[in-house]
Amino acid sequence: MNESEKKEKQAFFIRFSKSGSISIFRKLCSKVLKRTRCAFLDAEYKPLKCGSECSHLRIGKYLARFRPSPSREYMVFKCSCNKICLSFPVIQGSSVYGHVLFTHLDREPNKRMIDAVRICMDLALKEFQKEQELNKLYETIRPRAIALSTIHTIHRLLSSTLNMDELIERIARLTLQVMRSRHCSIMLLDESKKYLIPKAVIDLDKEILKTDPQYKKIKLGVKQEGKAAKTGETILLRNSVCVPLVEEDIIGVISARDKTNDAPFDRFELEILITLAEQAVIAIKNAQMYEEQEKMAYGSIKTMAALLDAKSPNTFTHSDQFVKMVLAIAEEMKLPREDIANLHYAALLPDTGKFSIPDEILRKPGSLSSSEYGIIKKQHLESLKIIEHLEFLKPAMPIIRHHHEKYDGTGYPDGLKGSKIPVGARVMAVANAFEAMVSASPYKGKKISVSQAIKEIENNKGSQFDPEVVRAFIGVVKKPEFKNMPGASA
Amino acid sequence: MKNIKSLFKNEVSKKVLLFFNENQNCIDTVKGISLWIGGDIDIIQKVLNQLVKEGVITSHRTASTTAYAYTNNKEIVKKIEKYIKKFKGL
Repeated sequence: MNESEKKEKQAFFIRFSKSGSISIFRKLCSKVLKRTRCAFLDAEYKPLKCGSECSHLRIGKYLARFRPSPSREYMVFKCSCNKICLSFPVIQGSSVYGHVLFTHLDREPNKRMIDAVRICMDLALKEFQKEQELNKLYETIRPRAIALSTIHTIHRLLSSTLNMDELIERIARLTLQVMRSRHCSIMLLDESKKYLIPKAVIDLDKEILKTDPQYKKIKLGVKQEGKAAKTGETILLRNSVCVPLVEEDIIGVISARDKTNDAPFDRFELEILITLAEQAVIAIKNAQMYEEQEKMAYGSIKTMAALLDAKSPNTFTHSDQFVKMVLAIAEEMKLPREDIANLHYAALLPDTGKFSIPDEILRKPGSLSSSEYGIIKKQHLESLKIIEHLEFLKPAMPIIRHHHEKYDGTGYPDGLKGSKIPVGARVMAVANAFEAMVSASPYKGKKISVSQAIKEIENNKGSQFDPEVVRAFIGVVKKPEFKNMPGASA
Repeated sequence: MKNIKSLFKNEVSKKVLLFFNENQNCIDTVKGISLWIGGDIDIIQKVLNQLVKEGVITSHRTASTTAYAYTNNKEIVKKIEKYIKKFKGL
C-alpha cells in the first residue's frame, strides 16, 4: 500500500470515527456488551485520540505486537488493570481500516455478542457510506445549483432592459461580479466586421472608461480580444479570460481580467463566462431588434410629419429645438426612460389634432370666438383618430390628446386638472407655449423675447402650467443649446 | 463599514456572509438566498439591505428584480475571510 492510499484510509477512518452512525453503533454495543467503553485505533493500533480512555489505550502497543491474522478476527484479552477488552477490526472489502477497542467489559464476550457487534459494525459502515455519498452529492450539486441560480438571476437582470447602452453596461457589471475580476470589457464588431469597438469597459479602480483613449478599437486578429473574435474560440490565460459573443456569426467579445484575489482564472470560471456570454448575446440581439423597431417607428412618424408639413408647413409639427426641449425637460424631471420615449413620439407629432380643423380658424390672428373654440375641441379629437391605429403610438396618444389641457382645468379637450393630465402632456404644454411665444408666425400671435416668454410662463405657473414642469423648464431653457429657438430673439 | 465582529453578531447576517464568502461568484435574489441559507425572507431582506449599506454586499437593481452579490472590495473580503478563519478555529 503506497503512502497516498494509507493517508486516504486514515482519513476515511477518522471521518468514520466521528460520524453520526458511530454514536448509534456505540449505543447499540453498550447494550450488547454492557458498561463498555469504546475507542478507535488505526490500522497500526495507534489510538486516534488520547483522551479519557486512559491507560487502556496503551493496549494498542500491546496488540500491535500480536497483529492478529487473518485481519477479520477479533481479539479478546485482559489489559494491565485486569479488565476484559475486545478489539474488533473495521473492514471494508479486503482492507482493514482500523480497529474498535471495547474496554471495561464486565465479562468475556461470547459468539452471539461478537456477532451482534459485527452486525452493528456493518450497519454503521453502511450508514456512514450513505452519509458520505450524500455529502459528496451535496458538495457536487450545491455549487452547481447555486451557479445555475446565478445564471437564472443574470438572465432576469439582462432581460429587463432593451436599452442597448444600459444593457451593455449591465452585462459588464455582472461579468465583473460573477468572475470576481477587476476589469471587464465588452466589444462589438463594427459594420465592416473588421474592428472591435469597445462598448463598455469597466475597471474597479477607474469606473467606466469607454471613452478613454487607451480603449481604442481593435483590429480583428490583433490582441486577445481580436483573436477570439476572429477564431470564435475562447481564450483562458492565467490573468484573463476572453469569450466570443456568437449568434450565428460572431458579434463581439466579452473579456475579464485580473481577479480581485489575484488567483488565476480556471475552467469553471471560463464555463461561467461562456454561459453568461450566451445570455448576453440573446439580450443584445433583443435590444438590437428593439432599436431597429424603434427606428422604424420614428421613421414612420417622421414620414407622417413630413406629409402633414407638405400640406401646411409648421402647422402640425414643431422645430427640432422644440423636440429637444421637451426631452430635456423630461430628463430634468427624471421621468422614466419609457415615458421619455413616448414623449419623444408625441413631440414629433404634437398637433395631429389640428388636421381637420379648417385653415381659416387655424390661421386666424387674435382670439377665437366661442363657436370657433368649440370646433377646435371637436376636430382635435376627430383628427386623433387618424393615428390611433398605429400600435406603437398608443402610449403617446394621451400626451398628444391632452397637451392643450391647462393645469387649472380650463383647457381642452377634456378639461383635466392637475395630476390628472398626463405628465408628458404637461411637459409638452410648457414647451409648446414657449415656442409659440418666441417664434415668428403670422397666426401664433405676437412674438416676444425669450426672457419675456420665460417670465410669462412663470406667471402662469399653477394656473396654466404645472409648477414642477415650469421649474424643470427654467433649469433647461437657460442652457446654451436653447438660446437659439428658431425665430427667437434674446 | 462597521466592525466585522458586529456584523457576525446577528445570526442571519452571519449566515449571509458565510454563504457569500463561500460562493463568491453568486448573484441571487432574496428568495434564492433564503433558499440557500434557510430562514424568513423578510428578515433576510432586512439584513441584506443593512449589509448593502455597510458595503459588504452589492445590489443590482432593475425595475422588477433586485439581486445581491458579494462585494468586490478586496480589503473587505480579506477582513471577512480572516475573521471567519479565526472563529472557525482554522
